[in-house]
Amino acid sequence: MRFSDYIEQSFSNLRKKKLRTFLTTFGVVIGIGALVCMFAFGKGMQKNMTEGFNKLELFNYLGVFQRSENNKSNESTQDPNSQNEADRRKRLLDDDFIIELTKIEGVEWAFPEIRFLAMIRYQEEEEFSLIQVLPARICQSGIVNFRAGTYYTSDEEYSLIISDSLLHRMDIKKPEEAIGKKIEVSTLAIDFSLDNIPNILSFLRGQGLPFSRQSYTFTIVGVTERMGMGGPTLIRSGVCIPYGTSKKMKKLPVTSISDLFVSTQQTQGYSAIGIKLTSPKYVEPVRKRMEEMGFNTFSLTDQIEEIKTVFIFMDLFLFAVGMIAIVVASLGIINTMVMSILERYKEIGIMKAVGASNKDVKKIFLFESGVIGFMGGIFGLTLGWIVSVIINVVINSIAVREGAPNMNYFSFPWWLCLGSIAFSVLISLIAGIYPTVRAAKIDPVIALRHD
Amino acid sequence: MDSDYFVETKDLTKTYSSGRIKLTALSNVNIYLKKGQFLGITGASGSGKSTLMNLLGGLDKPSSGTIKVQGKFISELDCDELALYRRYQVGMIFQSFNLVSSYTALENVAFPLLFADVPKKERMKRAAEILNMVGLHERKDHRPAELSGGEQQRVAIARALINHPKILLADEPTGNLDSKTSRQITQILADLNKNQGLTVVMISHEESLLAEYADDIVHLCDGKIAEQETNS
Repeated sequence: MRFSDYIEQSFSNLRKKKLRTFLTTFGVVIGIGALVCMFAFGKGMQKNMTEGFNKLELFNYLGVFQRSENNKSNESTQDPNSQNEADRRKRLLDDDFIIELTKIEGVEWAFPEIRFLAMIRYQEEEEFSLIQVLPARICQSGIVNFRAGTYYTSDEEYSLIISDSLLHRMDIKKPEEAIGKKIEVSTLAIDFSLDNIPNILSFLRGQGLPFSRQSYTFTIVGVTERMGMGGPTLIRSGVCIPYGTSKKMKKLPVTSISDLFVSTQQTQGYSAIGIKLTSPKYVEPVRKRMEEMGFNTFSLTDQIEEIKTVFIFMDLFLFAVGMIAIVVASLGIINTMVMSILERYKEIGIMKAVGASNKDVKKIFLFESGVIGFMGGIFGLTLGWIVSVIINVVINSIAVREGAPNMNYFSFPWWLCLGSIAFSVLISLIAGIYPTVRAAKIDPVIALRHD
Repeated sequence: MDSDYFVETKDLTKTYSSGRIKLTALSNVNIYLKKGQFLGITGASGSGKSTLMNLLGGLDKPSSGTIKVQGKFISELDCDELALYRRYQVGMIFQSFNLVSSYTALENVAFPLLFADVPKKERMKRAAEILNMVGLHERKDHRPAELSGGEQQRVAIARALINHPKILLADEPTGNLDSKTSRQITQILADLNKNQGLTVVMISHEESLLAEYADDIVHLCDGKIAEQETNS
């Protein structure tokens, strides 16, 4: 038999039992629809997350750290004469190094990665905020766009710049009004100094670390636009202070608890530098270069593999749920095909009498279940898509009211569309195996006598 | 063995077992049939006529003994080879017509060509020609239920002829027909035998009909050949 004949035969046979074909196909449609919907949701989440990361340019980020075992040798290289020698061996993460870094191909910005948690206080308002340390030189270099005021000129000032998002929380309407206002920044630090005797004593008694709270007063010199966590710039906190001033503050850095003990001893260089690259493709070459220079590095691409594993598990879970629907649908196909074969018992006998081989009979019925699967796949995909559009509209109408951005929670990559149809056909063919084998085994002599 | 024979069976035996009981439907039957011969087979019901027909038609396999058609041992073919034998060598006609009820007369006639990989256009053209030959051209779009018994059997004959078989096997083709139509149908088979040289084996319990048209008549009784007569 020719391929076109199989297709034509299948359609004409299925058309003869319209209701049964419809119901069976509908079972497949629901199964495939559910599967497609779930997969599209999983892929949509994955896509949104990857795009979010890309938007934040997190893939363009490379962290550079001092190797901790080298910190001790740093102490001994205080002497300027020996420092040149040490320089050849290993660089310090200082401002000069940062300027040099920006000359490397693919590097957009480099900045010291120092952030710590502090309480900021303006009039009666108090809140915790991540404070980023931004050296004056970097601040002046044009990374920061100011809505009002300007950068601090010295690393020793008690000046800071804030983001306009903080402005709202301070209840200041115009950015200009904030300039010159005083803000109190309070830090927590582990303090073994004599001023902190009561806390040290409690620490020695095993009652927590000897924290002390220190307050510093800063003057706002600039208000920047689009600062904060979600911003596309390298500045990822609402408040930036000069480097020199920050060093004078007693504080608990959030990046690493070990910095607390290490960086205080280290008089030169930053413990970490963040590099923003123009494209993710520069991550590996720059990272290699940094490691050759004796630094440790960190990039988000390391985390991507882990995130991918999480998504694989999520996909598997969604697949398992969708498969339940598919299994039910394939039972429907088996039932329909067995019924169809019983009804066409005599016809199968005739087929064999006029020269159909067992393979021909098998193929005729396999094609029929394949056609059910194909139609189920196409309409299932359509149903899945329609349902996803509806869910999207519903979620967005609720989410937008809550202030979330309007977004597409589903993704239909081409391989999902083609794959769902192919999968539907495959499942239907598998479901068709048993009825088909039964049909091929029919004895024509008995079948022809059958009425 | 004389290889001149077109169909030759040797000690053809078929036993059915239902449970512990063994039933012998055919026992050591030897038939010799020359090309272009019209053989009539007669006998009471249960005498093994249909069993013999199914074996000759390649629908069933003998328990023992051999069937040789055109020098080939049909009894030794596997499933797929038997299908090819049925497709190209044999045309079969049945008492109950065995037409596909959902197909039109034309589609029924064209049905065997489906398995012979013939393109649809040619299938329909050839089927129309043969329907024309059996005088049913105007009825080609009717379904079996809309046709009389004689018409249905003519459709069945047309279907049997469509692949240009070498041998036509008719199992009680007139069993469901009145005597006038029976004669017409048998006449068609006789004409095919005479004009086209087609070898015909016809089963009938109506001995008078066979006596009129067949060259040889074999009488079966309890699965054995009871009598063999030459009619000329």
